[in-house]
Amino acid sequence: MTPERMAELVAGWVRLYTRDLPASVAQRRVEEIDADLHDHIAHERARGISERRIARGIASRMVRGLAADAAWRGHQAKVAARLSTREETMKVSKAVYRSAVRIALGVALILTIPLVATLVSDGEGWSVGDFIAGGVFLAAIGIVIELAVKRVGNLALAIGIAVVGVLAGVAGEADDAPGLVLLGIVLIVSACALGIRARTRPAQHSQ
Amino acid sequence: MRRKPGTLLPLETEILEAAQRSGHATFHGFGLAQTMRDQSGSRSLTSHGTLYKALGRLEELGLLTSRWEDAAAVEGRPRRRLYALTGEGARAAERAGAGKAVVPRSSLTSEPA
Repeated sequence: MTPERMAELVAGWVRLYTRDLPASVAQRRVEEIDADLHDHIAHERARGISERRIARGIASRMVRGLAADAAWRGHQAKVAARLSTREETMKVSKAVYRSAVRIALGVALILTIPLVATLVSDGEGWSVGDFIAGGVFLAAIGIVIELAVKRVGNLALAIGIAVVGVLAGVAGEADDAPGLVLLGIVLIVSACALGIRARTRPAQHSQ
Repeated sequence: MRRKPGTLLPLETEILEAAQRSGHATFHGFGLAQTMRDQSGSRSLTSHGTLYKALGRLEELGLLTSRWEDAAAVEGRPRRRLYALTGEGARAAERAGAGKAVVPRSSLTSEPA
């Protein structure tokens, strides 16, 4: 066998044990061994070593390094898995942060309505306690909606929220409680948003 | 082979010493294998798997750095990965080599045709 043929076999082995590793790691190892094989053949030929002996030397280097190759691959696979887990954790943290921001903005936006109403009315309107209670309640609703949105296709929950919203609106009208009517409107709008997302998500995922 | 954290295997120490003695700023895989063969008087070159695994380990430990050689220097052959001792690597090589016989400068970066 010629040294070049033996070098091809070694290169094939390298490509095999670097399969499924991160591209940059695999490519580095492949290129490094390619350069080594080229230098090996050129150097030994320059020394006047026979073709057969050069090929045997290349084969020997490959065979003696098989265990180290396997250990290296195992180590690289572990490192890649660890990195992938870390990326996954970061993704989840980002999603939680975005949800929190969305909820906070939503609560603040909704509370500006009674705030403005309180400011323009003559002493009538919400007290500080009402705002705190309203904020906590809206935040809880926001969390439930965010959790529900994560579950693609949860139309049943959207319908449930809409029903509660309608009931809150009707009860608020009957008791002359504008806060309850406002809550009903919020719930109905949220249910609509949830329903739309639930219906559009599968189409996005299938693309 | 199991190792204590922070310790070097004999091959890794040998690599650092060979790199230190070469006197060259950089070296590459085959050049290193060749130098180690010449210095040890062995008939065979260090295996691919063992050599590059050790180089990777030394790089992870911060004892070596590496980069691809410039495209201009390649001249039609596959480009080499060039390694260099870091300050910490040089100190580790000195510690490891203390008390050993001095070996003449090697051909770590010799250029095969």
